[in-house]
Amino acid sequence: MVIKVTNFERWAFMLTVPAGVVAIGLYVFPILQVLALSVTEPSFGFGNYVSMFQNPAIGRVVRTTLIVSAVTTLFTIVFSYIVAFALVQMRPKVRRFAMFLVMLPFWISVLVRAFSWITILRRNGVLNSALVETGVISEPLELIYNQLGVIIGMVHYMMPFAILLLYANLTDIDQRIIQAARSLGARAPTIFWRIWLPLSKPGLAIATLFVVIFSFGFLVTPAILGAGRVLMIAEYISVQISSTLRWGVATALSTTMLICVAAAIALAMRHPAFRSAFGGPQK
Amino acid sequence: MSSRMSFFERTLPRLLAWLLLAFLFLPILVVIPVSLTEKSYLSLPDGAISFQHYASLLKWRAGWLPSILTSIGIATASSILVTIIASAFAIGAWVHAGRWPNLLRLILLSPLIVPPIIYAVGMVRLWSRFGLLDTWIGVTIVHVILSMPLAVLAIGASLANLDPRLVQAARSLGARPPTVFFRVILPNILPGVGAGAVLAFITSWDEITVTLFITSRHVVTLPRKIWTSIADAVDPALAAIAAVMLIVTVIALLLRMLVWDRRNPARR
Repeated sequence: MVIKVTNFERWAFMLTVPAGVVAIGLYVFPILQVLALSVTEPSFGFGNYVSMFQNPAIGRVVRTTLIVSAVTTLFTIVFSYIVAFALVQMRPKVRRFAMFLVMLPFWISVLVRAFSWITILRRNGVLNSALVETGVISEPLELIYNQLGVIIGMVHYMMPFAILLLYANLTDIDQRIIQAARSLGARAPTIFWRIWLPLSKPGLAIATLFVVIFSFGFLVTPAILGAGRVLMIAEYISVQISSTLRWGVATALSTTMLICVAAAIALAMRHPAFRSAFGGPQK
Repeated sequence: MSSRMSFFERTLPRLLAWLLLAFLFLPILVVIPVSLTEKSYLSLPDGAISFQHYASLLKWRAGWLPSILTSIGIATASSILVTIIASAFAIGAWVHAGRWPNLLRLILLSPLIVPPIIYAVGMVRLWSRFGLLDTWIGVTIVHVILSMPLAVLAIGASLANLDPRLVQAARSLGARPPTVFFRVILPNILPGVGAGAVLAFITSWDEITVTLFITSRHVVTLPRKIWTSIADAVDPALAAIAAVMLIVTVIALLLRMLVWDRRNPARR
C-alpha cells in the first residue's frame, strides 16, 4: 500500500511540474536577469545606482511618482471607503445595482477609460465646452496633460479594486456587534468611529497596499493622461529601453522598484490578515 | 436638531456614495455619443448622428479588424494553455500540499502584484535573445504567465469546495492515479476551470503594458492598436471601438449577474 501512496503522490507532483517550469523559466529567470543587469550593464559594479541618486532628472521622476501615488492613494481610499460603507448598508436590490456600477469600470479596458477621460477633460472636451457654454468659466480649464488629469484617471482606475477589497472586509464584520452597541445606547458617530473604523483596519491596510503598489508602477494611465508632461518611473523606464537604450539605468530603476514592492509586502505579511489573503489555504 | 444630525449621519454619506458611483460610471458612457458624431474629428454629435465610424471599423485596411482577430487568436491560445497548466498545478497542489507547491503558488500569483513594467524589461531582454520579439509565440507565452494568477485562484477556489473523501473513495476502490485526476477530480471542478479559462481570456485580451514592449509592427493586438491611435491622433473610430467594447462588457456583466442569480436564488 505504501508504494501505491507514493505513486499517487508522484503523479500529483508531476502535475505541478509544467507550471513550475513555466514560472521559473519565463517569469523568475527574466526578472533575476533584470536584477543582474542592473549591476553589470554597462560595467560591473553599483555605478547605475550611484548615478541614479545623482541624476536630477531621475530625482524629478521619483518625486513626481511619489506625489502622484500618495495623492491617488489618499483619495482612492477615502472615496472607496465611503462607497463600500454605503454598499454594506444598502438594501439587496439597490446594492446589486450599485455593484453593477462598480463592476463595469472594473472590467472595462484601462485604455478605454483613459480615452474617455481624454474626451471629457481636453481643452475643447465635453466638460470644458459645457462649462464655457453655460458661462461658468470664460476660458477652458487645464484639466489634462498635467498631474491633475493623471490623478483623476488613476483614482478612477483604482477605485473599483479598493471598493471590492474594502467591501469584502466590511461584510465580514459581525453585525451583532453593531446591534449590541446600538442597544447599549451608542449613537451613530460613536458606532462609526469606535466600531466600524477599527474593525475595517485590515481591509484599509490591504486596499492601501494594493493601491500604493499599483500606482507606483503604473504605466498606461499616467502615460496617456500625462502625455509626457507628468513623467513617472514606469514611463521613464520605458523611454530608457525603447529610445535611449540605457539598460543599466532602466534595470537599476526596475530593481529599486521591485525591492520597494517586496519590502512593502514583507512588512504587510507580518499582519495575519495579509497572510490569509496571500498564503493560500491556511492549514 | 435631530433632523440636522440625521442629515449629516445618514443622508450626506449616502449622497456622497452615489456621487462617487456616478463618477465611476458616467465618464465611461461618454464614448457612446462621441462615437456617433458625424464629423471626422473627436466631438459630440451636432444635430445629426452617423454610424460612419462604426463602418470604418470593418474596413480591413483601417487595421481594427486585423487587431481584433489577432487579440482573439492570442487570447484563445493563451487561455487554453493557461487552463491546462493551471488546472494541472492546482490539482497537484491540492492532492500533495507541501513546501514546493506553496512556494510555486506564490510565484504563480506574483504577477498580480509585481509591477508589469519590471517583467516587461526582463522579457524584452529574453525575447531579443531568442528572436521572439514581435512574434505571436512570444506574445502568447507572456500572456500565459500574466493570466496564470487569476486561473490558479479560480480553479483553487473550486477545489477548496471539493470533498477529499471523494478521492479517498476512488482510490480505495482501486482507481489508478490518472483515473482519479481526470475522471474524479476534474469533472467536479469544471465550473472553476471554466471561470479560469474566461478570466485568462480577458486578461490576455486586455493586456497592454508588457505587450507594448515586446511587439512593434508585426503583432498588433487590439490594446496595442488603441494605444497607438490614442498617441497618434484622436480619431472618432477610437470612440466607436471603445463603445463596442463597453456594450460587450455590459452584456457580459448582465448575463453573469443573471446566471449568478439563477444559481444562488437565496442571494436575491
